[in-house]
Amino acid sequence: MTTTENKNEVDLLIRSFRLMARMSRARPTVRSSETLYYQMLSEYYTRIRNANKDGKLLAAHTVFFPTEILYAMDIVPMHTEMTTWLTALFLREQAELLAKGAELGLAPEICSPHRGVAGIFGLGIIPHPDVVLWSNLICDNTAKSGELMMKLSHSPGFFLDNPFQNSLGEMNYLVGELQDMVYFLEERSGRKMDWNKLSEIVARTNLEMEIYREICELRKAVPSPMSNQSYLELLSADYMFPGQPEAIQYLTQLRDELKLMVQQGKGSVSPEHFRLMTLFIPPMYLTSYLDKLFDARGAVSAVEPLFTQWSEGKLDPAKPLESVAMKSFLIPERRSMYGPLSGQALQDISNAAKQYKVDGAIYWAFIGCRHTCATIKVIKETLNEIDVPMLTVDCDIVDPTINSEEEIGDKLAQFFEMLEDR
Amino acid sequence: MNNIKSKLPTLDRFRMVNRTFPKTPEIMELKRRGKKVFGWLCTYVPEEIIHAAGILPVRVTGYSQEEELEDGNAYLYINNCSFSRSCLQMGLRGEYEHLDGLVAGSTCDGARRLFDLWVHYIKTPFYHILTVPRKYTEPAHSLYYEQITNFKKHLEEYLDFEITDTKLVQSIQVYNESRELLKRLYELRKLDRPPITGAETMEILNASFRMPKEIFNQYLHQLLMEINVSGREYPSRVRLMVTGSVMNNPEFIHSIEELGGLVVTDELCTSTRYWSDPVVLDGRSPLEAISRRYLSNFPCARMVPSDGRFERILQLAREYHVDGVISQIIRYCVPYAHDLPLITEKLEQIGVPTLALDVEYGTSGSGQIRTRVQAFVEMVETRKK
Repeated sequence: MTTTENKNEVDLLIRSFRLMARMSRARPTVRSSETLYYQMLSEYYTRIRNANKDGKLLAAHTVFFPTEILYAMDIVPMHTEMTTWLTALFLREQAELLAKGAELGLAPEICSPHRGVAGIFGLGIIPHPDVVLWSNLICDNTAKSGELMMKLSHSPGFFLDNPFQNSLGEMNYLVGELQDMVYFLEERSGRKMDWNKLSEIVARTNLEMEIYREICELRKAVPSPMSNQSYLELLSADYMFPGQPEAIQYLTQLRDELKLMVQQGKGSVSPEHFRLMTLFIPPMYLTSYLDKLFDARGAVSAVEPLFTQWSEGKLDPAKPLESVAMKSFLIPERRSMYGPLSGQALQDISNAAKQYKVDGAIYWAFIGCRHTCATIKVIKETLNEIDVPMLTVDCDIVDPTINSEEEIGDKLAQFFEMLEDR
Repeated sequence: MNNIKSKLPTLDRFRMVNRTFPKTPEIMELKRRGKKVFGWLCTYVPEEIIHAAGILPVRVTGYSQEEELEDGNAYLYINNCSFSRSCLQMGLRGEYEHLDGLVAGSTCDGARRLFDLWVHYIKTPFYHILTVPRKYTEPAHSLYYEQITNFKKHLEEYLDFEITDTKLVQSIQVYNESRELLKRLYELRKLDRPPITGAETMEILNASFRMPKEIFNQYLHQLLMEINVSGREYPSRVRLMVTGSVMNNPEFIHSIEELGGLVVTDELCTSTRYWSDPVVLDGRSPLEAISRRYLSNFPCARMVPSDGRFERILQLAREYHVDGVISQIIRYCVPYAHDLPLITEKLEQIGVPTLALDVEYGTSGSGQIRTRVQAFVEMVETRKK
């Protein structure tokens, strides 16, 4: 293994997560699942830090990458975009990361997490990966970021070509791509794929999706039992530990907590005034601010159709590679962001608005995300047809210079007043 | 001889086509006679199949100048490239209302979303989008072949007749002839004093995807003869190549050439990447040959690995004795923006400097762009000495 350690930044991240876990544990009002979430983060980055010491291959990879394969091969995954935004969120180093990205020649129109990824690699503040893995799921940025990462880290890489539509031929192509990636990783790691282990992971992924769907069902309750921005934790669970016991433990705990709250008729905000649909992701660096603001207004994010609504389908552990391919067609982001914008996708958003009884929707127009922003008008019209108003907030999920906290606060305040008047 | 004022009458015919596009008199006359017209987006859409179906394929492009894109902004938002916003706005305002079909590829985020919104808001009778793999592997070729086959079937169902292999071979011949003629035109640009400018070449290329190919070929053949006897020669202070995002504005090239830099070649999907490689039958079925050509053609920045594209850019720089490269990247054109630092370094290694311009689609190259190009031309000229 060629992995070198850079203890400073990863250690800082681990320390932050451990601290957050301790703080959560010490406060009885905080959900136990939140403690588990920070423990997951801590564990995830501890493995990254120790990959070299443990004699394991460290694989840097882009978002929505099928890391089930890495876990089955005992390879340590390192999610590049998530690492960027966690570094930005917990260590407040976004300016340095983005400046380095610019110095490397990346235009400001490239989305900030990807400029940040280049910055992270350029600054060498994360452990040096042994391999770089990337795919075109979810956008041109993910498709194009791998080669620069390879250059900056002097690591070999594999590009996973994810087809655009869901035909049999495209599914077979994706399975072939996954098989090629397995060969590549076997060659680089000197380890053989453990197909039984992959089958077990697939079986657990089924369970994970089942619990995920149960959580979504529970969130239909009025008042909504899940706290604001908690859906970001939900996303992270699958980003970090897909089909892993850690994700199952976290999701089970969260589901049970939500179930209890629903049984007791308790909401995450009290009293609940506004039930909202969240489209895309709010600025990461404003998470605490937005939580407080929403709580003060009695507003809750009840549903996030672009991120938390999985397509129907079940994986087959007897066909693990096919199942991993199929999973990439089930993830919510594929339907709404990567694949063709079908009438069904719009209908699903409309249905979600009704099922979750939302009063309004907030579209976080992340300036770096072209394919989501292109849907703002069409989604707004879809929601207007069922009398659900939508607020569009220009923002960046990592870069705080795009707009200020006050600016966002003012826009939200006006929106809440408008909802109040209705 | 430096007779740069010699007229090329056929060039004016091409200019006339461009001036009146999308509703050129020829296209509207063909429509009146019952011929169908399909728009296509992106060079990964195989025109030969549309042509073999007896349909006129025309390339969907945006406004020929930088325009206010109120509708484009409202529908596609401000962070999609101005090419896709410009095309959509023209579509929304009825400028492509005569199209009977629209065919696109899943080539980039901008193209995908332009297609999505076109389908949603503009009522063109036929739509098709091809999944275009990003690799050149054999499985990628198989998938693309399957996509092309499905497209042909879809078209046959829509038209209710078969597109025969004979028709496909005829279309391949027409398109290959066009590619060969354009290659001859480009060969002339390798000369020390080329007889044609970059701006004029772009006029020709624009017309090439806006009129029946058979007529275009006749015209281009005629133009090449006119050039041969014209005695035209264009001296230059520096020889330049233009690379980057989709661009088809001769005014932009003209503004560079006004400053003393002659554009002798390019790596644009509207120019070299459009015509560069022929369809080679070589024992293959026509559909297989078309499929292979379109996926293996001079690559767009979307393809992985990027080495194929980089190698061909370096090759062009050498063949056309390029002194400098002007990379023009439309804001939010992410594939090209990601490649910029990598290709800039490679060009620098062979002694070719790059000027990176952030532009909007349709820009004429005035203002700050002009100042930067002027400084670049002077810098390259100094380096040459």
